[in-house]
This record gives sequence, C-alpha cells and structure tokens, in this order.
Amino acid sequence: MPGLSSGRERAFSATQALATMGLTWREYQLNCRTPAFWALAAGGAGLAVWRASMTGATAALAAYHVWRFVVTGVAVLAVLIGSASAGRDKRDASSELVLAKPLGSSAHLVTARFLGVWLSLVTISGIMLGAAAIRQVIGGTPWHLGAYANAFVRCLAPLALATCLGFSLTAIFANSLAGAVGALYWLAIPLVNAHVPRAADMTPTQHWPAPALLTAGLLMLTAVVYGRAIKGSAQSRARLGWAAAVLIAAGLGAAFDIAYRGEDTLSARDPVLSAIAAQRLLPEQRAPGFWALDGRHRIVGLGDFDGRPIALAFWGPGDPESARVVALLQQAALKYKNQGLASIAVCLDSDSAAAGPFAAEAGPDVTMVWDRGIHYGDGDRWSNSPLGLAYDVRAVPTVFLLDEHRRLFSRVEPHAIMMLDSELAKLVAAR
Amino acid sequence: MQIEIRDLRKVYPGGVVGLHGLNLTIPSGLYGLLGPNGSGKTTLMRILATLLEPTSGEARVGGFDVHKDKSAVRRMLGYMPQEFGFYPNLTAYETLDYFALLCQVTDKADRERRIEVALAQVNLAQLAGRKVGTFSGGMKQRLGIAQALLNDPKVLIVDEPTSGLDPEERIRLRNLWAELAGDRVIILSTHIVADLAASAEQLAILHKGKLLFAGRPAELLSPLRGQTWIIDIDEEELSTVRNEYFVTGVFRSAIGMQVRVIEEKMSHPKGYLAEPTMDDAYVHIMRREAGAAANDLN
Repeated sequence: MPGLSSGRERAFSATQALATMGLTWREYQLNCRTPAFWALAAGGAGLAVWRASMTGATAALAAYHVWRFVVTGVAVLAVLIGSASAGRDKRDASSELVLAKPLGSSAHLVTARFLGVWLSLVTISGIMLGAAAIRQVIGGTPWHLGAYANAFVRCLAPLALATCLGFSLTAIFANSLAGAVGALYWLAIPLVNAHVPRAADMTPTQHWPAPALLTAGLLMLTAVVYGRAIKGSAQSRARLGWAAAVLIAAGLGAAFDIAYRGEDTLSARDPVLSAIAAQRLLPEQRAPGFWALDGRHRIVGLGDFDGRPIALAFWGPGDPESARVVALLQQAALKYKNQGLASIAVCLDSDSAAAGPFAAEAGPDVTMVWDRGIHYGDGDRWSNSPLGLAYDVRAVPTVFLLDEHRRLFSRVEPHAIMMLDSELAKLVAAR
Repeated sequence: MQIEIRDLRKVYPGGVVGLHGLNLTIPSGLYGLLGPNGSGKTTLMRILATLLEPTSGEARVGGFDVHKDKSAVRRMLGYMPQEFGFYPNLTAYETLDYFALLCQVTDKADRERRIEVALAQVNLAQLAGRKVGTFSGGMKQRLGIAQALLNDPKVLIVDEPTSGLDPEERIRLRNLWAELAGDRVIILSTHIVADLAASAEQLAILHKGKLLFAGRPAELLSPLRGQTWIIDIDEEELSTVRNEYFVTGVFRSAIGMQVRVIEEKMSHPKGYLAEPTMDDAYVHIMRREAGAAANDLN
C-alpha cells in the first residue's frame, strides 16, 4: 500500500512539525525567563536610548548604531546563550527524561532549541530598536519606521549564525566551555586584519548566504551528532549528514567568495572597480567618474548628472558626525534646486543595505549611493574604497563641489563642513 | 504486551560487568525489580528505556528491539530515571506540556486533558501553575512520575519512584501502580521491599548483574513457609541470637525485642512460627548469594 504509507508519513511529518512549533515556543519561554535575558534586554535598551539621545541622531542613524550593537555585542552574548541552551539538559540533569521521549534525540528538538534561543535574541534586538524609537519620538525626532525595520531584518542572519555557533559547537563537543570557546574564537577572527576575517565577518547584509548556509549546515550536523536515533534509522542519519556536509561546504564556499572579493589589492577585484580606483582627481580636469548602487540597488553613474553643479559627499554611518552631512545635502538640494544642484552622498560602509534608510530619510532630493568596492568597513574604510582612492578621501565627511563641466570647484574637509553652504553659494554663483 | 530479554549482557568501559547474560520475560502487570545498589537494576532499565546500548544479546519491548527500533519503543514507553531534574523556570504545567510535545501530542486540547489527568494522578493539580524550581524533592519526584504517564505508555519504567516521598505519598503511589497496571507493563525498580510487597504480580531479584530469582512473590515465599520464626528476646540476648540463627529482621516491641529468623528447626524456647514476608525472603536470598560467593572465593 504505497499510497497509504506515504499518506501516513506525511501525517507523521505534519505532527512532528506541529510538535517542533510547540517546543520552540516553550524553548523561547525558557530563554526569556532567565536573568541573562532581562539583563541583556535592559542593558541593550539603555545603550539604544543613549545612542538615540546623541546630538543629531536621526532615526536611520540610531537604528544603524543599534544594529551595530546587536551584530557585535549581542552576537557574542548569543554565542554564550546558545551554548548554555545546548548544555541545559546536562546542567539540569534532565537528559534522560528528554532522551527517552520519541522526539528526545531528534532533529526536531535541535531545531526547536535553536529557534527558541534565536527568537529570544531577536526579541532583544526588537526591544533595543523599540527603545531607540521611543526615545526618538519623545525627543521630537521624525519617526521613520523603515529605518528600524531595516535594522531589525539585518540583525536576523548574523544573530542566527552566532546563536548556532554557540549552540551547535556545544552540542557537538558535548561541553559548554569547549563550545563557547570555539564559537567565540570564530567571532573574534574579524578583529584580525587579514583575508580570513573578511570571510568570518558575516554581518553585512549582502553576505547573508554564507551565514544562512552555515547555520543550516551546522544545525543538521548537530542533529546528526546529538540525535543518535533519528527515526531509529542509520540511513536517515546518513542522509542528514550528507545534507549538512553539502550546506557547510556551500557556506564555506560563500565565505571564501567574500574573502576573495574582499582582497586588499584592488587589482584583484572587479576590473571596473579597479578602473574607478585608478582615476585621479586633478585640477582643471574632469573628476573621476563612477558607477555605484543606489538605495534600491540601481546603478547610478556620475555621468547621469552632466551639465549640473554637483555636491559629492563621502560619509559613513559608523561616524555619527559624518552622517549629519546627509541632512546638509538635503537642505542644499532644496535651497539650490532652481540652480540645478545635484546632491550625491557616497556611503562608505561594508554593508550594502546601510545606506538605504538614510536615503529614505533624506528623500528624493539626495542621491544616495554605496561604494560596492568596500568590503571591510572598519578602520580606514575610505582607503579601502575605490571611490575613496580616486577622490583621495582621507576622512569623512568630505564634500567635493564639482562645476557643470565636472571639474573640481572646491573641496570641503571635515573640519570646515559648516562652511559647506557658503561654498555651495559660490559654486552656483559661478555658473 | 510483554518484554523479552535474551542473553542480555552489558560490559562498561573498563571491564565492569553490569549484566551477565540476563534472560527474562516480563509480562503485563506490575513487575518488581529488587536488588541492592550496583545489582544491575538501573543498567537493565536504561537499556529497556533505549538510553544504553547492550554489549550483546537482545531486549524486545512489544516485539520491537530496543536497540534497532528506538523510536517505536519510545512511543510506547514512559520512563522515570532514578536521578533527574527539570527546567526550573517552567511551571509544572508547562513542564508537562514540554514533555507531551516531545511525545508528539500536538493537539492542544488532548495535551491539556493528559496533563490535567497526570497532575491529578500524582496529586499535583493544585501546584500546576507553580515554577518547578520552587518544588521540594518529593514534588519533583511526583512530577517525574506525571511526565512518564503523559503518553499513556504501554510500558512504564520507574526507577526508585518512592525515594524522597513521605509515607502518605508512598501509599498513594502504590495504589496508583495497582490502578495503572492492566494490560500494560509496569517495571518498578526499588531496594525497598515494602514497595513491591503489596502490589507486584511478579518480581525479579538481581545481584551483581545476575538474576537470582524471577517469578511470583508466592513462589519466593513458599520455600520459607515453616522455616520462618519469631523469637522474643531481651536486648542482651541479641548478639547471641545473631550468632546462632539466620536473622532477617530485628524489631522492638512493648515487651522487649523480636527477632525474625529463618531456620529449618527452632531450638530457642521463645521461638514460634511466623508467616514469611518479602523482607525475609529478600534478605535470605541475598545472604545466601553472599555466602555462595564467599565459598567460591575460598
């Protein structure tokens, strides 16, 4: 009766899926009721409020910095919380009670436990972003839901990987300390400036395939090791093992690709990016041209603004002071609209999605682009940016005013940024 | 429903033998496992609960091999180990809900009903909403029994279920086993003979991984009928009696002391025949085994 058999199997799978959902909820409750959760939520909310209270912090800037807190600080704690969750049965002496149940050593329980920890950490991210948003509303700063939603979504993959590392390594090694140390070592790799760290830094949004594949692969591997009798069949365990190996290999491949494309030497990158970086900004000559991606991932070229005076600002959301230049550009775009001023902001951040909320906040008058040559946003990011090299950017914010022939009219350095308006007035007057 | 155990042997790393080729058939009803600490009771129970793999031999629960068909065995199994803990942040109700989900009881109403029944059976209904972290040892013990009952198991294995319970709870539990036993197998492991005396339909006695006895309690008692005596003595006489007779128990009474002994013939003037008890039989069989072991060494 093959039909009956497959029908039974489907019904069985549906039952297991429902059980996994129920167990996920209970695991979530278990994690949310720990003192660590409340300490993290309260501390995180405090940090978020502090950041949102800083002078000039817009919704996009506050959300960006909360995201940074989450993918760095909370991610490290996610490793420890994931590790604690995997070691809970041993700690609470409940292993035998759990293992003797039908789902006690199954992939379903592994999944539910991982999801429970992950969802609790996602909740902490939500609390932090919510606290920042409330602080902004109370402070009278314009509310911008998209900025918080964007930051929230960008927390999901890095938190999943961090949680999974702590959880899976502890379950695989059957030792909380070994699991936590292994996972923290992985997370610490980005602190070292080399190729491997670029592969390990999976926080940028565009890197999501690597953490997603590695998370899925590690969880499957955990299920194989932890679940000694999934459906009582060595065959299904072997299948799961192969699937884990394929996913981990694909994840490592994606990480290798990040490392390869993040090579320091520009010549090793995309030839177009190398060509952009090879240009130089020289007096009386046309300024270096470029193609970059805007907030909606459309290609924008400097040639699109030919015949118009241009305010080209380099900034990075990691530097709150530089982020304020976006607002100045917006004011200038409105003020000199009739004179045809084009305002372009180049975001120097390793995350392709970082500029999006700032673009939405600035509105259609400012063209926000992201230098896709950037792969490692910390430290001297402008020297690692093809556009930064072409324009010889040494600090942010730096604004280049170009005349209608795209020649350099003026260069406004960070210390003189408040002189931007007067320089702009001169640019449009000289037309 | 029955459990078949054939040539079951367990050797732990380091060469310690947990079970020496055990052969046993456990039918439906309440089955007692008696034996001192280290006799192999827990090893046998953990193998039957699919938590430990035997070195050789086989054990079948309802026809399913405990090693090869773990999932099938676990679906019909309720197990309470000797030592266990719960997640302290969950309430008793939430804890049972968690374990019911692990048993794949996915219908919420069905789960609620099972949890309420289990809580009532172990007298914890009033504490359903209290966090398990605040429970006493006895309450946790009762919750351990409740979680083993959630999936209406065909086989219920409980290891030292009455340790830490007050006398009233122990009596309550003995009655519960009697209620639950029917067409299901209940294996109750203990070193407290009184736990089994009232309700076990059959029992096995293990010692150092070997089976010393398997059968009905009456079969254990019948050889001792006519050989079990009570002697009324003064306290000073105790050491003399101990040296002369096979003593299975000493009790204090209003008139002095009473000593239970097992002997074919009674030479003491204050000795009179008594009905053998499970305690007598257990002590007798254990002492005899110890004597045989000593002879083997000599």
